[in-house]
Amino acid sequence: MNKDFISVQPISSFNAWEAMRKRRRLFSFTLELSARCNLNCRHCYLNVPENDLAAQDAELSFQEITALVDESSSLGALWALVTGGEPLLRHDFFDIYMYLKRKGMVISVFTNATLFTKEHVHLFTRYPPRDLDITVYGATKDTYERITRKSGSFEAFKEGIALLLENNIKFNLKAMALRSNIQELPQITALCREYSKAPFRFDPFLHLRFDRDHLRNQEIRNERLTPQEIGTLETLDSTRHTALKKECRRLQAQYPQERDCDHLFRCGTGRGSLAIGYDGWCRMCLSLCHPECIFDLRNHSLTDVWEGCIPQALTKRVQNQALLAQCRNCTFRYLCSWCPAQSYLEAGELDSLIPYLCDAAGKRSQSIMKDIPLPVSL
Amino acid sequence: MEKTISIDTVYVPSEEVVARQVGGEFVLVPISAGVGDFEDAVFTLNEEGKAIWDRMDGKRTLREIALDLGTEYDTPIEEIQRDVIGFTEELFRRRILHQIPRQE
Ligand code: SF4
Ligand code: SF4
Repeated sequence: MNKDFISVQPISSFNAWEAMRKRRRLFSFTLELSARCNLNCRHCYLNVPENDLAAQDAELSFQEITALVDESSSLGALWALVTGGEPLLRHDFFDIYMYLKRKGMVISVFTNATLFTKEHVHLFTRYPPRDLDITVYGATKDTYERITRKSGSFEAFKEGIALLLENNIKFNLKAMALRSNIQELPQITALCREYSKAPFRFDPFLHLRFDRDHLRNQEIRNERLTPQEIGTLETLDSTRHTALKKECRRLQAQYPQERDCDHLFRCGTGRGSLAIGYDGWCRMCLSLCHPECIFDLRNHSLTDVWEGCIPQALTKRVQNQALLAQCRNCTFRYLCSWCPAQSYLEAGELDSLIPYLCDAAGKRSQSIMKDIPLPVSL
Repeated sequence: MEKTISIDTVYVPSEEVVARQVGGEFVLVPISAGVGDFEDAVFTLNEEGKAIWDRMDGKRTLREIALDLGTEYDTPIEEIQRDVIGFTEELFRRRILHQIPRQE
C-alpha cells in the first residue's frame, strides 16, 4: 500500500492546476449573477440600475444556474468566482451560494459590501467563502459617493465592513485607482491595510462598457489615470513593483519560443476557465465580449461550448499585420496590458493597437525595467 | 477532539465535506467552518486512501473495512488495520469523519 493516503493543499497551489492547464481542463469559472447594481460607479463596465426590469428578466434563473453549476462540476471545475453587478442583489443569492458549496466548489465573492445583513454574516460564518473581495472607492463620503453616485452608500459600505469585523469574517479590500479618487489613494491604502491583512491591491486599468454606451464610455475615459500616473503609482507600490518585475523576467524567458506565433489568444484565456454571463452568454474570459467569442448557453450546453466552441475560437490568428510587426519588435511587450478583449472594447476589432495601453506599457517599462523611480506628480 | 480511534467503531464522512473527482485527483472539499485545516485547503486522497474512504459507508467498522481491503491488497492484515486507523485518525481529527453508533 502507498502510505501517503492524504495530502493537504492550499487551493492556490493545488497540484492538479498545472496539469489541468496543460491538458486544457476547466478548473474555475466566473458566475456573473446580475448586471444590476445598487450603486452607479462612474468607471463601471457593466452596471444597470437595480430596478432595471429588462436586465432582471434576462438573468439566468436559479434552475438554469444550478444546471450550469452541475455541468461545470462534471467538467471538473473546483473554483467559482461569484460576481455582478452586485451579486447580493439576487434574492436567491443564498440558495445559489449554498448550491455551489454543496457541489464542492471553492467560492470567491466580489461585492461592494453595501448590502450585508445579519443573514449574510450567518451564512459566511458557517460556510466561509475562500475570498470575500470588496472594492473601496474612497476613504471619505465625498470621494466614495462622487464615484458611486449614490447618496448614503459610504455609510452603507462602512456598516457592511463593521458587520464583517464584528463577526470576524475575513475579507480582502482592493481599490480602483481613478481620477476621482487619486488624491485620496494614500488614505484608501491606509484604510485597506488597517482592515485587511491581505496585501493591498489597486487596479488602474479601466475597460470600456460591454453595451458600448457612448456617454458612459466617455465617463470611463475621464476616470482613467494618465500612463505617467500609473507608472508612478506602480513604482511606489513595492509589492506590485516586485511582482511586475518577476512577471517581466518570466515573459522574457519564454519569448524566444513565442516570437513567431500569430495566435490571437496567447494569454491563457479559454484554457482553464470561462465566464458565465448573467444573461446566459458564456464568455471565454470576463472581459471578452466579441460576438465570435461568446456562446449562448440557452442554446448550447456548457460542455459543447467548452469542448467545441471555445477551442474553435482559440484557433483565431491576428489579421492585422501592423500589430504583429509592431509588437514583435516592441521592447515594452513584457509589461504590456494589451489583449484582444481590450482591443475589441476600444476599437471594435480584436487585433487593433491601443495607443493608451502602449503608452502605459512604455511608462511602466521606464520604471520597472530600468528601475528608476519616476517623480511623484500626483 | 482528542479521542482515540477504535477499530470496532463505524466512521462516516461528514456532510460538511464534498468528495469529488477533479483533474484526475480524488479531492475532499470541506464546506463549513471548523472542518478541515483552514479555509483555503483541499485534501487529496491517493488510490489507497480513496479505497478506505469508499468503504466508509456508515455500516462497516474499521475492522471490517480492513478485512475487505485485505482481499484486495497483498499486505499483512495487521498492517492494513494500522493504516486504516491512521487514516481515520487524520480525518477524524479534522472533523472530516464522524463516529457513529453501530447499527445492529
Ligand atoms: S459597485 Fe461594482 S458593479 Fe456596482 S456600479 Fe460600482 S463597479 Fe459597477
Ligand atoms: S506596448 Fe503596444 S506595441 Fe508594444 S507590445 Fe504592447 S500593444 Fe504591442
